[in-house]
Amino acid sequence: MARVLDLTTETGAYAARLLVEAGHDVVRIEPPQGDSLRRRGPFLEGAPPLEASADHHFLNAGKRSLTLDLTVEAGRQILLRLVEAADLVVANLPLPIKVNDLMQARPGLIFIGIEGDGHELCTAARTGILSITGQPGERPSVPGAHVIQAVVALHVATTASAALYAKDQTAQGQKIIVSEAECLVAMMEQAMVTWTTTGKSTERKGYRGAVTAVSGAFACADGYWMLSVPPSGDGWSRFVEWMGDPRLGQDGALGSEASRNAEKENILETIDRWSASQRKLDLVTQGQGRHIPATPVNTPLELTNDPQLIGRGFLRDVDHPLLGTMRLPVGAIAALRGAAPVRAPVLGEHSREILCELGYSDEERRSLMETGTV
Amino acid sequence: MSITPLAGIRILDFSHILAGPYCTRLLADFGADVIKVESRTRPDMTGALRPGEQVEGRQDRPPLFLNTNRSKQSITLDLKTEAGREIAARLAASADVVVENFSTRVMGRLGLDYPSLSAVNPQLIYLSLSGYGHTGPRKDWTSMNMNLQAHSGLMLATGEAGGPPVAISNSWNDYMGGIHGAFAIIEALAERRKTGHGANLDVSQFECSVATLGGLLTACSVNQKAVPRPGNRCSHHAPQGLYRCAGEDEWCALVVETDGQWQALKTLIGHPELEAAELNEIEGRQAASRRLDQLIEAWTEKQDSRALDQVLKQAGVPASRMNRIADVMGLAEAARAFPTLDDPDDIPRRVAGLPIRWDGLRSQLRPAPRVGEHTESVLGDWLGLTPAAIEDLDREGALR
Repeated sequence: MARVLDLTTETGAYAARLLVEAGHDVVRIEPPQGDSLRRRGPFLEGAPPLEASADHHFLNAGKRSLTLDLTVEAGRQILLRLVEAADLVVANLPLPIKVNDLMQARPGLIFIGIEGDGHELCTAARTGILSITGQPGERPSVPGAHVIQAVVALHVATTASAALYAKDQTAQGQKIIVSEAECLVAMMEQAMVTWTTTGKSTERKGYRGAVTAVSGAFACADGYWMLSVPPSGDGWSRFVEWMGDPRLGQDGALGSEASRNAEKENILETIDRWSASQRKLDLVTQGQGRHIPATPVNTPLELTNDPQLIGRGFLRDVDHPLLGTMRLPVGAIAALRGAAPVRAPVLGEHSREILCELGYSDEERRSLMETGTV
Repeated sequence: MSITPLAGIRILDFSHILAGPYCTRLLADFGADVIKVESRTRPDMTGALRPGEQVEGRQDRPPLFLNTNRSKQSITLDLKTEAGREIAARLAASADVVVENFSTRVMGRLGLDYPSLSAVNPQLIYLSLSGYGHTGPRKDWTSMNMNLQAHSGLMLATGEAGGPPVAISNSWNDYMGGIHGAFAIIEALAERRKTGHGANLDVSQFECSVATLGGLLTACSVNQKAVPRPGNRCSHHAPQGLYRCAGEDEWCALVVETDGQWQALKTLIGHPELEAAELNEIEGRQAASRRLDQLIEAWTEKQDSRALDQVLKQAGVPASRMNRIADVMGLAEAARAFPTLDDPDDIPRRVAGLPIRWDGLRSQLRPAPRVGEHTESVLGDWLGLTPAAIEDLDREGALR
């Protein structure tokens, strides 16, 4: 178990959360007024202002919360004491303290700094992500639920894990920079390969598949369903048999992925007409019964009753002192480890406990709290 | 001093297409020895070219394969033969990690599932990276990237309220599963160092994707009510959006985070309606965001996106033109994210690197292997087989 200090804002919060899921001790350091994540919607109804952000509840679950005013010297001194006992610091840059001061406070420290301006929409525009997200010809959309911040955080967490694993290879501290824009540019690797080898620009395709010929969301009576016909193997013939439309099965003319690509628009329109009057769950059940990749296009609300998420223990009940029992996602890594579900801390909930661990006396603690440093 | 975090870690990689191979490429970048198990009769078809499509450089593998599988080694085994399966099991006995992303029952049928292999090698870390995981009512569901973008809620969390679902037009879900898998493996290696025990990592790509929407799911679960799709707006800045510019399909993003940035923006636009006092504060701008979007777009659609990008940034308003891949390739970020791989048998090739800056990390890009390029050396090094024994196996058909 590593001791981790979490000085991230919105972009890196999921990195420290993943380290919690893996069993590490993570202290989230927040300004006395609470961090920006606590102010980001959507909010839980009936919760007090700084305890209402849904992202805070998910991304900070299992962390200990210490409030610290890093704009004053006394606050920075406490941070240095914390760093002396830490293995890893993850932080969004810039910090109100020099990174080298942290590295000096703890020989062998691993420091991962996240570089970027945090403007999610602008970063998505710059890095090309918007150019592949949206309906063709219409206004592109930033991917929902801040998933592009999760990408950056996943790179941070995996790098942190590798650096911690390598700790005994060197006594030297390691300073690592992860750039938001570079991580998102890296998500364009398929478009890069297509561009550099064929000169073709990958464009947004809305709800249709980008890679597979017969792949996309189709309207049905109660929403949308998603179908992907595997490009190789006998998926297509199984699909044609299911649909029972003689025009698609004739002479096996559409038996290859190349021929289906050539006839793509016709095929997709035929499927659209076929499924328009059917129900989502029926289509998905019939498709899966034939080993065809057919799934619902879910709203996030529908997911809260997903039998697979509940059956695998990904959605679990968690008790919160202010909010009662809530059914929350425990995370992919925690679900894997069967770890007990945890909740997010109330602002400053662990300040006293952590100062005790650092050896501050009762009197020192009181004075730090009175001056607003903690 | 430079370090190689996963030096000496042997990874036996049965995965194909993208989620698994992306996962093991990350591990190779941290220094692991990744041995890709292929078959000449059923090679990994990722990125197969369409008939008539021609590319420069290496012809033995498609360009996407060369990108995804660089820095690995390749051996060929025919797992349909008894002898091929036996070699696979013996390799797994001396591996640190096995990675596979077949559907649920495949590895069991081959006698290469976790219970079979861990009985011989209890320290083995075994990653299964299936669509839905190996337990639960939907463990046998089959899925591809788009299915999981849809099922995870991402497509109905993206785009405008009331509009159709929106996908990210790449294999987004494979990346989410692959990188969670890499994280799980390195953590399991650390755990093993302390406890001596291996691990069965039954990772569900579906759960990985859902986890990246964890906050939104939390809101829906607790409130039992849908959260409206925000499109390009956000809860704490206004205006924020992607606005049409002059020309075909040209766009520019801008975000007003502070009242000062608002003053700068309205000065640039110079429309009298923007002078209203209530717009000087965020609450007023949020309330008027529809009208503001119209006024901003009436201004942006007459301007060149590149020029507008510069004008806004110079005025202190966070902004970016929407780049396409051709534009992205010219950015400094792309020079770092997509280094050039030198391979004497190939043209200079841009490939995806590890997009982090870590001076102490010793990491080297190596060309993707030819099919079966390392069969002999791996069987020799790992199992101590002589060239004659390998030739016998080949005659039996085990190495096809």
